[in-house]
Amino acid sequence: MLQIQNVSKTYPNGTQALKNVSFDVKDGEFLVVIGLSGSGKSTLLRCINRLIDPTEGKIIWDGVDITAAPPAELRNIRRKIGMVFQQFNLVKRSSVMTNVLSGRLGYVNPWMSLLGIWPAEEKQRALEALGRVGIADKAHNRADALSGGQQQRVGIARALMQDPKLILADEPVASLDPVLSHSILQYLEQLNKEGITVICSLHFLDLVHRYATRVVALKDGVKVFEGTAQEIDRAKFKEIYGEEAQEVRAASL
Amino acid sequence: MPITRIVRNALITALVIAAFIVSLRVTEADFPRLFRDLPKGKDLLTAFLTPDVFTREVETRTISIAFPIPCGSAPTESLLPSDGPRLVPSVNCAAPLETFTLQGFDLQPNSEVVIRWRLPDGRTMTAIRTQTDANGYFTYDVQARPIQSSVDGVPSRLEVDTLTPVGGLKPSQALKDVMDNMFVTIFMALLSTTLATIIAAPLSFLAASNITRKGCVGTVVYYIFRSFFNLMRSYDPLVMATVFGFWLSFGPFPGFLALTVVTIASLGKLFSEAVENIDPGPLEALQATGAPPLHTVRYGVVPQIVPDFISYIIYHWDINVRISTIIGFVGGGGIGYYLNLSINDFKWNQAGTAIWAIVIVVWAMDFLSAEIRKRLT
Repeated sequence: MLQIQNVSKTYPNGTQALKNVSFDVKDGEFLVVIGLSGSGKSTLLRCINRLIDPTEGKIIWDGVDITAAPPAELRNIRRKIGMVFQQFNLVKRSSVMTNVLSGRLGYVNPWMSLLGIWPAEEKQRALEALGRVGIADKAHNRADALSGGQQQRVGIARALMQDPKLILADEPVASLDPVLSHSILQYLEQLNKEGITVICSLHFLDLVHRYATRVVALKDGVKVFEGTAQEIDRAKFKEIYGEEAQEVRAASL
Repeated sequence: MPITRIVRNALITALVIAAFIVSLRVTEADFPRLFRDLPKGKDLLTAFLTPDVFTREVETRTISIAFPIPCGSAPTESLLPSDGPRLVPSVNCAAPLETFTLQGFDLQPNSEVVIRWRLPDGRTMTAIRTQTDANGYFTYDVQARPIQSSVDGVPSRLEVDTLTPVGGLKPSQALKDVMDNMFVTIFMALLSTTLATIIAAPLSFLAASNITRKGCVGTVVYYIFRSFFNLMRSYDPLVMATVFGFWLSFGPFPGFLALTVVTIASLGKLFSEAVENIDPGPLEALQATGAPPLHTVRYGVVPQIVPDFISYIIYHWDINVRISTIIGFVGGGGIGYYLNLSINDFKWNQAGTAIWAIVIVVWAMDFLSAEIRKRLT
């Protein structure tokens, strides 16, 4: 279980991205975080694996305080938390294989991997991960030779290499053609069914309805809603997204 | 307000004009002289345009006659042949400062001829180089000089070499020397660029804000290396070469060291900027996997900067070939040093060869580095 306790984040320039946010994520949940751009979704996800250090509050995962972990322990915690990004964050000039293998850097012999030498079983594991997202044949292409949807699948394969217990997905489909959204989210859903907890930020409400087991909504860094997708009625929607907001459905695009 | 503005503008204009006048004065600019002195530069230009590149194997045939100065000081040439290659002076002896005509008959046609005196003590004095005509004939007015006087009854002799080219063209000594020195320059530039890369590449990461500037220690390290690069860059390679030259005496080694130091600073700065300009996304992704810090750089940063790094390295090799030519002038060895020597010895054709070699190599390096950089993406 992941416990977010009174987490606040103030950036050095004074921007208050998160204000006293608390909620729990039970193992096996598919938790979706919604909110406008700039509402603090990305900051929240990055606080969980401490790509960003929260200013206040605690994040406790299975009894371990992530926020207090020293560097070496933090790396061990991060190994178990896969992350998928809006911009995929692949090394474009490296091969798909290298990108996927790099998800394993927290586990393998550091000297060998520094020289770029990987054991055969890790390569096999990478091919399996690519096979799971359906692009094993692209292993030796350069990452930037792939389409956006394929790149995001490489991103998921890289997260899979970490053998994660939790996956953080930061707007994983926002840079993709809406028709590709389901194909990516279905992979995440599949992993979730296999027991990996998923925390995912999303824009489209119909995607939220389709995939979320629970929803947390942020507005200006404050948690304004926590519950199931079905509980988000018109009034709630206006509260989260503002008065002018109109619901757009990914399916209608 | 408009009046103060007009006054201000007038003042600025006056200052700018004054600055230009002073600059013209101190540089002693005299553009008409460019044309007035053209004849003076003509020989030089001709020499540069006819570099010493090829020679032919030359067969030398020498004939000579005894020529007493003054008359009676030694026996004259007794029997002048009447056919075959022969020298015929208008008189068979002469008083000092008397002028006579020397003719040559039936020599090798259209050949270079060297006329010289062989003094009684065996030393030679070259009088002139000339050419035979199609019949193998030449004529030349010779003045008898006191120094050519007979000594103890032994006369000076007039010697004539006919130089006949035989066989094909072959590279001249100057061309061989230029090529040797060019190799010194190119490899001096290559070695200094390589050494500078080995040192600058790791240091550049320490001077990149996105890698190092984290926490107290990181910020200090970042500023130390950043200012180190900036400081070293402000020294001109020529100054550096002179300093190393006084320290290690002149030659290729101090030139190479100077070039290396300057290149470390310059590449270090360029490299660190390349590192700062990477896409931070992959680095973030690798940090999120729990990879150790060095590995996030190895897998997240290095692949992104390789094309930039290679491009800068080749560019700097190109620059260093040029700089090392100039460093040669202050004693750094290589082609610049050779060119300096040639000019000091008034060997203009040889200098021409060196200049042409520099032009060709610099052009080729420029072309090559541009082509390679174009292909890197």
